[in-house]
Amino acid sequence: TEISSIFRDAQRTTASHRKLVITLRKIHEACCYEPTSNRKNKTNSEDFDEEQFTSEFIRCVLRVMPVKKSESVGERSIRFIGMFLRHANEKDNDLNADDAEEGVMVETPSSRLTAHLMNTVLPLLTSKDKFVRYRSTQLISHIINSLDSIDDDLFQLLRHGLLKRIRDKEAMVRVQAVLGLGRLAGNEADEEAEDSDDDSGAGLLDKLLDVLQNDPSADVRRSLLVNLPILPNTLPFLLERARDQDPATRRALYSRLLPALGDFRHLSLSMREKLLRWGLRDRDENVRKAAGKLFRERWIEDCAGTAGSDGADEAADGEAGNRELKGPSFDGLLELLERIDVVNSGVENGVALEAMKGFWEGRPDYRDDVTFDDNFWDTLTAESVFMARSFNDFCRSEGNGNFEALIEEKMPEVTKLAFYLQRYITVLVETMKRIATEEVMEDEEEEDTVEQEFIVEQLLHIARTLDYSDEVGRRKMFALLRQSLSVPDLPEEVTKLTVEVLRGICAGDAAGEREFCSVVLEAVADVHDTIMDEPLSEDVDESFHSARSEVSGDTTPTRSNKSSKKSGMPEEDDQEKAVREIMVNMKCLHIVQCMLEHVEGNLQQNVDLVAMLNNLVVPAVRSHEAPVRERGLVCLGLSSLLDKSLAEENLNLFMHFFAKGHSALQITALQILTDILNQHGANLLDSNPTVVKMYLKALKSGSKTPEVQAAATVAIAKLMLGRVISEASVAVDDLLRTLVVLYFDPSTAHNQGVRQTLSYFLPVYSFSRKENQDRMRKVALDALHKLFEIQETLDDEGDTEAEMVSLSTVGAHLVDWTDPRKCYVSGDQLTYGNEGAKKAVNGDVHLEFARDLLEKLGSNVPKEEKKTLAPLLAKLYISPASTEPLIREIYQEVSIAIEDKLI
Amino acid sequence: PASATKTRKEKEPFEIDFLSPLSTTLAESIYTPASSNTVISLPKKDWKSKTRNLLPDDKHFNSKQLLRLFLKPKARMGTRRIGYGAKPGVFG
Repeated sequence: TEISSIFRDAQRTTASHRKLVITLRKIHEACCYEPTSNRKNKTNSEDFDEEQFTSEFIRCVLRVMPVKKSESVGERSIRFIGMFLRHANEKDNDLNADDAEEGVMVETPSSRLTAHLMNTVLPLLTSKDKFVRYRSTQLISHIINSLDSIDDDLFQLLRHGLLKRIRDKEAMVRVQAVLGLGRLAGNEADEEAEDSDDDSGAGLLDKLLDVLQNDPSADVRRSLLVNLPILPNTLPFLLERARDQDPATRRALYSRLLPALGDFRHLSLSMREKLLRWGLRDRDENVRKAAGKLFRERWIEDCAGTAGSDGADEAADGEAGNRELKGPSFDGLLELLERIDVVNSGVENGVALEAMKGFWEGRPDYRDDVTFDDNFWDTLTAESVFMARSFNDFCRSEGNGNFEALIEEKMPEVTKLAFYLQRYITVLVETMKRIATEEVMEDEEEEDTVEQEFIVEQLLHIARTLDYSDEVGRRKMFALLRQSLSVPDLPEEVTKLTVEVLRGICAGDAAGEREFCSVVLEAVADVHDTIMDEPLSEDVDESFHSARSEVSGDTTPTRSNKSSKKSGMPEEDDQEKAVREIMVNMKCLHIVQCMLEHVEGNLQQNVDLVAMLNNLVVPAVRSHEAPVRERGLVCLGLSSLLDKSLAEENLNLFMHFFAKGHSALQITALQILTDILNQHGANLLDSNPTVVKMYLKALKSGSKTPEVQAAATVAIAKLMLGRVISEASVAVDDLLRTLVVLYFDPSTAHNQGVRQTLSYFLPVYSFSRKENQDRMRKVALDALHKLFEIQETLDDEGDTEAEMVSLSTVGAHLVDWTDPRKCYVSGDQLTYGNEGAKKAVNGDVHLEFARDLLEKLGSNVPKEEKKTLAPLLAKLYISPASTEPLIREIYQEVSIAIEDKLI
Repeated sequence: PASATKTRKEKEPFEIDFLSPLSTTLAESIYTPASSNTVISLPKKDWKSKTRNLLPDDKHFNSKQLLRLFLKPKARMGTRRIGYGAKPGVFG
């Protein structure tokens, strides 16, 4: 009949749906309102009554139910059904508008039809066929979302039916169920607000939030994320999805939920920072892009909108759709920076710099419009200076120098910048002094200092990038920094940056480095002088500049002896003095440490450095004060990088610190030793077997000190990839096997530092060189055996908490890492992506692996272990380009194994 | 030879046949209810996820870190040539 042909047309394209809905409605009216249809043209639909229409309509709907998910006709048909019901209900309500009382549902032909249809479809929700369940759930959810009102009893039935389906076995069914329920939850939560003694709404919402957190399918979680109502009590659950395992869900949060959220300033400060950090540093590029876009297009508009209008048209501002891109608003940008707490997020490794890099990149309008005039530099705030610094960084590092012109145009020259820097350093130092003399510090003052410190840091960041070819500017800056460095109160971060800029100002060659060292060490001597009591300063000064003093040790101890002898001060003064001495030492060591980080040349050839080592560093390492000793250790480590014999002499000392120290000190010692090995080569390792033992010990320290284990993992990864621990080292097999075991060992499941390092290291190591891959092959089965044992004990203990991947998965990884086709082959004989060439690669490594496997299978390893080994044989790649005798040999061994029923 | 020239059959667009009456097999598939609720439901153990399906904290370990000394983060590692990483995109 006509109805079925309408359905037939409707499945083809949604474009004709409007027309078809009207036609169908005409038939519907003709069937249901007989008297009024008399004057219409004669159609054959008049011969039918409402009952027949209903049954035909439902018959057509039922035809849609078994349609597979992949067929788009199903989707279109369901949209058509929803559209028709909406239209019919509206029409009927219009017709009844006169006699219907406000708010009372009147029964109409379309409400009867809806009810009938729903009652027919409801039982299908629990159909055996998954597509029937899918389509029926989809239909009900769709209808719930298209109709304004549904009969109460029916509504309860639908709600109940859908609720069952959020636990359906099929993810596609669950997706549809949550689509319908999300809307209901929103409605019910609204009603809840008015009528709080009914808790069913909250019940539904709670259930859905539970699904949002726990459903194994990302599609389900994602649909909920964009369909749940945004309420104060749902928001934390929604925002949590910023760390969902599924990249598309994370992206949906940044590209759909957060833009729809309205003004971001309603979020808490820490939430803004987290969202920004998670988004901009996501492992998935698309998430990063979405987060960057959110920041530079939405968040800025939230601020620019109000900052520009100053509340004049606040009302119009609320309309999200009304908001168009206005011209750049720098007040808005400054507010945005304030709203992300740039004083804290703008420090080193904070997220603000990345956010602003993306901002300048994506907003050429701001880039072109920004100006930094004298007034700007005169009245710097944390926000404005960060704007300038991030702009400077962006223009210098991005766009292949295309933005250099912008720097020329907008940034001040060296002399001017030095002048401003001097001003802000003076303010900072004065504030620090004032605070030092005051007993109690007020909060406001502390905040002030933090901001002033931040301003100076940012200016130094800019100074670091400047071109110092202008001699006047260079001299000015040099003098300023030299002078600042000898201010004992200068905060550590400022000190660090000052040293860095100084290094940049001095020439890059050996002479420049000598100049740099001597000027920094002069400042160190000054710091000593300014704090130490006068009788001492002479002493210290002298020892500082004397290059002849060979061994030192005695300067520091005698210092205190002398002073106490001389003056015979009361005990209190003595104590104060001791504290001050520690402070001075710490400060001096810090400057030295910052300096050494930028020194490359040979230590012995630089008399200033030798003096520093003997007079400051060596005594510090022997100090009885732990902080001094530990900082001295770092400086000694840095010095050792510049002098091989010094490194050799102190190897045992560093290992002693590892053996006896607390975990942070152990990490420092490990890092020093690793750097030394990297710098001076592997022979140090081979001549000192205890070093290898130390590494192995550190790798096994997971249960007590997971952070040491993680540091050791990174350290060994570096050494092995840098081939410091090379093929020749005896230790290499041990270390590699230990790393493979650690990667799968359930005890490291919570040590993300270890796991993530290894998930990078193991494939990179195996695929980067043929020799590495063969080494991986060599240790593979021993590692697997070890893991087999670990799993055995796990089973014995019945420990359900510790989860371990199956041994077959481990095996698959090992096979993959040793796959000859994935190994990088140097030279031009193979270009990546050339599949034919890849197949013809020499596959000896897998043949050797096969031999190892067969040998194990023939040995007396436990039966269970053999069961995991045998299937690995089938996964190996046998390349025709392998060594021929080896192929023959393995073939024979396999044949024998089959005869012996080993496999 | 004949098979070589055979063109692949275009997949016929699927359409629902609304005109003909419901066949019995189709009706059966529509109306057969599941034997029990558990057959069509998610097993209980999958109702809760230990991790709440969230990622662990990223440690952002990368090749840049490998090329730097721990103590001198700004300076690139000495003169040593590192024999890998020449090929982009292999390990992604």
